[in-house]
Formats: sequence, structure tokens, C-alpha cells
Amino acid sequence: MPAETTGFWAPVALSADLPPATVIPARTTAGSIALWRSQSGRVAASADRCPHRGMRLSHGFVRGEALSCIYHGWSYAQAGNCLRIPAHPGLSPPETIRVATQKVEEADGLLWVAVGDPAHQPPALAGLVPLRSLTAEADIGAIERAAGATLDARGVLETVENSQAVRLLLVELQPHRTLVHVLVDDGATPAERIMASRAAESLRRRAESLQGGIA
Amino acid sequence: MAENAMLNQWYPVGLFSHLAKGVYKTALMGEKIAVSADANGDAVVTTCAGRILPVLVRFGHVWSSLGEPTKDLFSIPEADQPGRRFVEVGVVRVRCSPLRAVENFLDIAHFPFVHTDILGAEPHTEVQNYKVEIRDVEDEVWATQVKFYQPQAAKSASGGITTEYMYRVPSPTCSVLYKTCPPRPTEWDVITLFVQPLAEDLCDVWPWMALFDDETSMTDLIHFQQTIFLQDRSILENQIPHLLPLDPGMEIPTRADMTSVAYRRWLKRHNFTYGAQLVAQ
Amino acid sequence: MKLYDYILSPSCYKVRLMAALTGIPLKIRPVDFHPGGEHRKAELLALNPAGSIPILEDGDLVLTESSAMLVYLSMKTAPKWLGDGTAEQAARVQQWLSFSHRLTANLGGARLHEMLHRPGDIAVLQAHGIAALRELEAGLVEQGLRGKSFLASDRPTIADIACFPYVALAPDGGVLLDPYPAIRLWSRAIRALDGFIEMPGIHRLHELKPDPSIAAGEE
Repeated sequence: MPAETTGFWAPVALSADLPPATVIPARTTAGSIALWRSQSGRVAASADRCPHRGMRLSHGFVRGEALSCIYHGWSYAQAGNCLRIPAHPGLSPPETIRVATQKVEEADGLLWVAVGDPAHQPPALAGLVPLRSLTAEADIGAIERAAGATLDARGVLETVENSQAVRLLLVELQPHRTLVHVLVDDGATPAERIMASRAAESLRRRAESLQGGIA
Repeated sequence: MAENAMLNQWYPVGLFSHLAKGVYKTALMGEKIAVSADANGDAVVTTCAGRILPVLVRFGHVWSSLGEPTKDLFSIPEADQPGRRFVEVGVVRVRCSPLRAVENFLDIAHFPFVHTDILGAEPHTEVQNYKVEIRDVEDEVWATQVKFYQPQAAKSASGGITTEYMYRVPSPTCSVLYKTCPPRPTEWDVITLFVQPLAEDLCDVWPWMALFDDETSMTDLIHFQQTIFLQDRSILENQIPHLLPLDPGMEIPTRADMTSVAYRRWLKRHNFTYGAQLVAQ
Repeated sequence: MKLYDYILSPSCYKVRLMAALTGIPLKIRPVDFHPGGEHRKAELLALNPAGSIPILEDGDLVLTESSAMLVYLSMKTAPKWLGDGTAEQAARVQQWLSFSHRLTANLGGARLHEMLHRPGDIAVLQAHGIAALRELEAGLVEQGLRGKSFLASDRPTIADIACFPYVALAPDGGVLLDPYPAIRLWSRAIRALDGFIEMPGIHRLHELKPDPSIAAGEE
């Protein structure tokens, strides 16, 4: 992982996994996020909890430029303020009703959420593109041991698995749980991409058995 | 926990009609219990250690307590009216606070979003003012003059109607709903939620109904109510914090939430805190 | 066609969903599975000694496996749901139909345990369910790399309908769907199909309907 400054960028999802007008659950070590993209394509990271009755906003829905909670339909703007309370259509919701938001950047096909106050921009991946994300029930350390390699300054692990070059971007989610983004060369063919995906699955199996946590 | 006022309340622990099947093992507020019938067919409830617990049978369910209830279980006079059909909807387990389960039952603003095209539909989302009180004599929370437009309010309704409701909380984990009865507009249909607290974040919900409906099959009545409850279940399992906050700060009510505000205030007043959290976190 | 049905059964829902997507009217005969246990009583055991639901009756034909019902409904009126007719697609459909039976056991078993008190080793059921979801995720990723958004084809087939319900309801059994982006996108694609119907626990996609009243400041 990058050296701690006052914060860092956590790659929480692939851009391709967040189409317009959708919301998905995401996570950093700072907590859960409702990561969403408006109809026009703008991305926001809202705290995954509606202040009304505590319902997870990641279960909600996106219409236009607003994220709505599935429980009572309360709608929020990307800035976090509440726009509408369907039970009271004529009411302008007070400014105090809002959800906390975090800075999010979209770069190199990945969505990065700021944890703390990062000093720089997210690291560049230079010619690598993300293929898919998977979750490993293992620490970064166990994945490094399984790979026989360590993370570089960007958080990328490079190794060879089943004669296949594997590049993984890792980020801690929780203790013993790591988010793994499989990276491939921009020009990789579909067949090469499938091989990279399978190699990543194989590495995950070994890391999890090293961790000892999974049946 | 020993100080907890909720220990001396009555809780549903099983269906009386199922006692013939043998011993039913369950739990009450973290304590394992067994529910069975004796040689006379009367319900018996014991803890694992063999302590015999208070028991009564009402509304088709067996009720018990880990403490010593000072009053009888609440009554529902409408249930004694001739012509009523009783529906035992069947138990559903939910990973949530028993108090969250009750509060969801008291809420109507979620109808268009969670029970879409059944109990409510956009754009009919407005919740008009209604009346809420804590009745001192009975010591119960009551909401009356509640109205909501519903596309299909009940199995016996043939189209959209504005349904009238009354809500009642006669004990901390039970609620009674009185709603417009389509076949008999001067009567109320009675729908209840009896919640059995297994742990502070785990409960068994026993819905029960006393209806005027001579047309619909029992299975259809059961399925309609199960549909409604199952739609709520995935909401209940995703509310944070798990324990119901009884202090203001964490959650923001509006005028549509007056019943739940009164419920939380009534819980706090009585120290009914099993499944609740007190300091705003 | 008469379907012996339980509103909360994902296997019954497969048939109801298929019928809705292909426009086939079904006469529903509700079965009091819970709390009544009607599926194990004399009348239904006479029809299906396995004691399971759904049961589909069409004249003299009685079917007791949901996969067979999906095949029957598509062959009757909408054969595109079986694939493009090639050996490869037919095989992929069969592969995922077989896989879907494992979902009934693991994700379905976990759900019955967590929700309706049915016996089971919940830790094992959940672990097997997670393993199955990972297989499904990898399968969808690879299909995507072949330019296909559904399990057997570039359009939905009965393979998708067979797998969708237990997957969508996995959280009922304590198995979260958060870690599976490809499953999430596939699930949305199915829920957005013309004629799609929900079941309790799978809610409507409200985003598919525009806001009935747009407030100032939202655009």
C-alpha cells in the first residue's frame, strides 16, 4: 500500500460495473458506501445509510441525478442534501437532512474513493486495464505469500500463476477480506482475459487456504 | 438485563394448533425454551433447566414469559365477533431487533416503495396528518384517522380504495392494525404482528388476522399476508444500527412518522429496551 | 395449465416468471406450504410422491421438476428461450440447469433455515452457496468476455430463469450478494426484461419508472 500521508485513494470498483443510473454497495476501511452513477454519468460516494430510519442506501435506486432510498423513497443529490421526501411532496427538506459524501475519482477504468485526505491523485496504471473485481477471504499478506511477491507502491501485485502473468490491484476491505481487481494489458485478447481471470481465481484459492478461513 | 421491564411481558412462542406435532424448541430473550402439550392438551412452556414458565393461549398462539407478568395479555374485542375468520399466517424469522419489526409494521410511508402496486403506488405517496396518542388508562400507543390510497388493499378488495387504518401497540413487541374491511365497510379487519424476541437482533414474527371475508380461501389469505411481510423482511435486515435508537440524533422522523415517534417515546418511558440502544452513537 | 404454487417458493417463481415473460396464462392453485405443510399431505402426495412443489398440470401431463417446466413452457410458445439450436448453447443451457439444482440445495436450504425454521447445517449451506455464487460470477465474467450477457447466449434462456430466483434471494439465507459485480449486472438485466414479475423478497426496480413528479434542483 502507498505510504500513509494524510489519506489514500481506495479503488472500490470497476467503472464498467457501475452503469448510469445504478447504485452499488462498496467499502473502504473507513466504512460502507453507496457508490452511484447518475443518469448523466456523474459518480458519487454517499454513506451507505439513510438518516431517516437507517436503511442501506445501496439498496436504493437512481433516477436522474438523485439517489433514492428503497424504504420511503427519500431522494438525495450527489452533494448529499435531501431533495425530496415523498410522504410530504410539498415540503422542501431542511438542509440538516443529508448524507455524508466522500471524494471519488474515475481514472483508468476504476473508481477510487478518498479515505482521509489524500495528498495526490490516484496512482496511474500505465497501459493496464481492469478486467474484473473479486473478493478474497484473505489478508493482503496471505495473498502476497500465495503469490510469492509483494505489492508495489501503487498497490499492484505482479506474479505468475499456472504459467500465466497475473497483475492484481489489491485493497483491504476488512480484516481477512481483500478486494482484488484483476488487471490485464490494454490489448489483451478475450482468450487472454479469460486465462487471466482463471489465474486470479486459482491464486485466490491458494491465498484463502493459506489464510485458513474458508470451507 | 434483570432490571429490564420487558422480562415481565407476555410473548408469543408458538402456534397452539401445532402442539400436537411434538415438542417445539425455541428461545425467548436469549434463553432456550421448549413448548409442548401435556396429557390434557394444555400448553406447557419450560426452560432448558426445567423451570416452568407462565403460559396462556390466546389468538391461536401460545404465550409465555421469562418473568412474572403483572397483567393479563391484551384483548382484541373485535376478535370475538361472530363471523370472523382467524388466519394463522405462520412464523417467519428475521435477523433484526424485535422493536424494528414492530416499528416497520406501524409505518405507512413505505407502502408505495416496498409493497408496490399492492398497498401503495407512486405518485400516491403523500401521508396526510393523522392522530397519535399514548392512552394513559390502557397504557397503549394508538394512531387513528390514518388514511392511504391503495391499489389492492386486501384480498377482498376489487380495486383501488382509500383505506382507513388504526394502529395500536398494546405491548412492546406486539401491534394490532385495524383497517377498512371492503366487504363490511362499517367494520374493521384486524391484522396483528406478534413478535417473539429470540435475541436483541433476532426475532420470530407471528402474524395473525381476524377478518370478515367469506370468499377468499384460507391459503390465499395466508399467502397475501406472507407476501407483505416478506417484502418488509429485506428492509428489516438492512437497517443500521441493528438496535432501535431511542434517543434522537441518529434518525430523523417527519410528521408521517408520528406513530413511530410515539412508540419510541413509550418504549423509553417504560424502560422497554431489549432490542434498543439508548445513547446516540 | 395449472400450477400448484407457493408464493414464497423460488422454484415455483421460476415457472410463474417464465410464464409471465412468454405470455402464457397459468391457473394458480395455491398450496399452503407453510405453515400448513400441504405439500406433504395426501392430495398432493398422490399427484407428486416426492412431496415437492411446484407441480405443473397440462391435461394429462404432470411435471414435478421446475427445470422440466421451463423446457415445456419454452418449447410450447417461445423456443428462443432454449438457445440458438446449436450443440454448444444447448449444452450450456443444460450445464446451468444442473447447476441451478445445487442452488436450490445450498442457497435455498440456507434461506429455508434462516427464514422458515427448516433444519440444516447453516454454516455448510452458506459456504456451499458462496462457492456456487463464485462459480456463477466467473461464468458470467467469461460469457461477457465472449460478448454474451446471459449464461448460455447473448439473450436470456431458461438457464438464466432457472438460476435467477435463488441467487436474487440469497440474502434471505444470510449470503450477501455484495461481492459479485457480474451477478448484480445480470440480475438487473433480468429484472428489466419486458413482462418481468417480482416475488416477495425481490423488489421492483423503481428506476425503470421515471419520477412521477420532478422537484426543482434534481436535474
